Amino acid sequence: MSAVDTEVQKEGSHRPDEGREKIDFKMITFSLGGREYGIDIMKVKEISKIDRFTYVPNGSPFLRGVYNLRGEIIPIIDFRIMFHLPLKPIEAGKAENVLILNTEDQVMGVIVDSIDKVIGVSSQRVKPAHPLFHDINVQYLKGIIEYGSSLYIVLDVDRILGIAEERQAERPAAAAEAPAVAAGLEAPAFAPSGEEESADTLELGFIRDTLSAFRGFVVSDLNLDWVKARLGEWRDLRSSEGRGVQLAEPNEADDFLEPFYSPYTGELWGEAYAREIEELLPDVSGGTLSAWNPGCGKGYESYSFAALLDRHYHGKRIKVWANDNDLLGISMAPTLAFHEEAIPPLLAPFVVKTRNGFGFKQELKDSILFEYHDILHPNPFPEVDLVLARDILSFFNPVQQQALVQLFRSKLRVGGILFIGSNERLVDSGWREVRKGGVCGFERLADEEPSNKEQVT
Amino acid sequence: MRVEYINPFVEATFSILKEVLNTKVERGELYLKPTSHPVLGVAAIVGLAGDVEGRVLFDMARETAISIASIMNGEELTEFDELGKATIAELANMITAQAVTKLHDLGFRFDLTPPALITGINMEVSSPNVEALIVPVTLPQGKLEINVAIRERA
Repeated sequence: MSAVDTEVQKEGSHRPDEGREKIDFKMITFSLGGREYGIDIMKVKEISKIDRFTYVPNGSPFLRGVYNLRGEIIPIIDFRIMFHLPLKPIEAGKAENVLILNTEDQVMGVIVDSIDKVIGVSSQRVKPAHPLFHDINVQYLKGIIEYGSSLYIVLDVDRILGIAEERQAERPAAAAEAPAVAAGLEAPAFAPSGEEESADTLELGFIRDTLSAFRGFVVSDLNLDWVKARLGEWRDLRSSEGRGVQLAEPNEADDFLEPFYSPYTGELWGEAYAREIEELLPDVSGGTLSAWNPGCGKGYESYSFAALLDRHYHGKRIKVWANDNDLLGISMAPTLAFHEEAIPPLLAPFVVKTRNGFGFKQELKDSILFEYHDILHPNPFPEVDLVLARDILSFFNPVQQQALVQLFRSKLRVGGILFIGSNERLVDSGWREVRKGGVCGFERLADEEPSNKEQVT
Repeated sequence: MRVEYINPFVEATFSILKEVLNTKVERGELYLKPTSHPVLGVAAIVGLAGDVEGRVLFDMARETAISIASIMNGEELTEFDELGKATIAELANMITAQAVTKLHDLGFRFDLTPPALITGINMEVSSPNVEALIVPVTLPQGKLEINVAIRERA
């Protein structure tokens, strides 16, 4: 009985406070890329202006360097780089605003745009973060709080600093596991749904096996509709020639796949196609537009895409990361040469005469960075506005496809567009299909509520 | 890795190895490796900074290192002693420096760190978030792997 009594008493003693708000949470507020943020004051050791860091080679891009804080060497991290927020260039000779944070096991400095004030609030008023605040991934947020007339986004320091370290360790492990599980996942897509379909299913199975053996083309949900439709055409074509449906040689696999490839594969884009893509390009704020072009081959599509972006977003800085794991193809890309009659109007303004025919102007070349890179390996690219990945997903096994779609998603900003092959289709949630003629694009939607999101990933 | 960087490293490797060892140098197929991989036994590392960040790692078995050092010094070494270590570090320095000179002519600005030599067994090297370009080289003295991990500065 006595125990119950004391509890009742305790509750009673709290009651008088209910009317007024109890201030039990203080935070330091600061701004990043024009928005207001807050950090629990208990995590902040001090505030400082620092102008000289020692640069450390080989660190993450957001690690600006180390600093000697009265004899203690601490890492300095730039939140704006870490969260891909616009970086306000600092005047020469001026110091950066730095919050020195104290977490359980280490001290580090973070650079922010400006430090504002300390405010005290009731921790009950911290509302869960809404996924619409997508500047910073929702997993790094503690919540949102209204104070006076502004909204402050409260950052979760432990998770941010913890995740900064873990980020690198996780990805390769996922990629390595992929091939092992692949075989198991392929089968269910072709489970026969009825007796009369079993002959078709068998044929489809043969085609699937031969395509993957001859050309590494993997039939999956991504392209199943196309393969089925193509199989119908193929059957008619082959029977008119008096031959069977099956693919006996690699070049027959090429014949089968020929209509699969998107328009202008391995060529500079024609005007009609370019216009279709142009209509799907999203509006972009800020002065820079970045795009990622994995599987760029010899670079024809990278140049076409960069020229198109330059025309559409005139005046913005265009940055295209183009990469491929075909060393021979991509080695030629930076110095691509061609004959003048082959130039579509889109690229005409960028052509100059060179020693070996015609090439592109330096300004167009400067906007593209060609890299020899295997897309299954980790990469350091920051967030991008667009991903151009035509016809490449179909050449990875289903588990890798999943991982790549997730990777594209994590690299794309909300509202950014992923272009895939004309005959490919994303079945994952979180994307909205946008289509124009032969162009297949998917808009990245905002993340779902965190509880659902964990199941997806 | 940026395409323009590949050739200078491959060319420098061949011209320097040919010059100092005066022998036939065979190149294997270039390929990419993700973050971490085992090291053969002797590894010389030269760091790069400037427009880019990264490092070049020269990886070989201990016996290979000893016989290369023997040829370069014009005397037969039996142990991988101070002289041998200094020789391998210098070889790494020469190759990287020539590659960086070639890159400089192409308009890329790189700085080098002094070479560091690491020996031991069962070692592994990791460069988180950067994939490495592997240039495998076969010499009469044994196998040598040049492992270049460079990325653009953000």
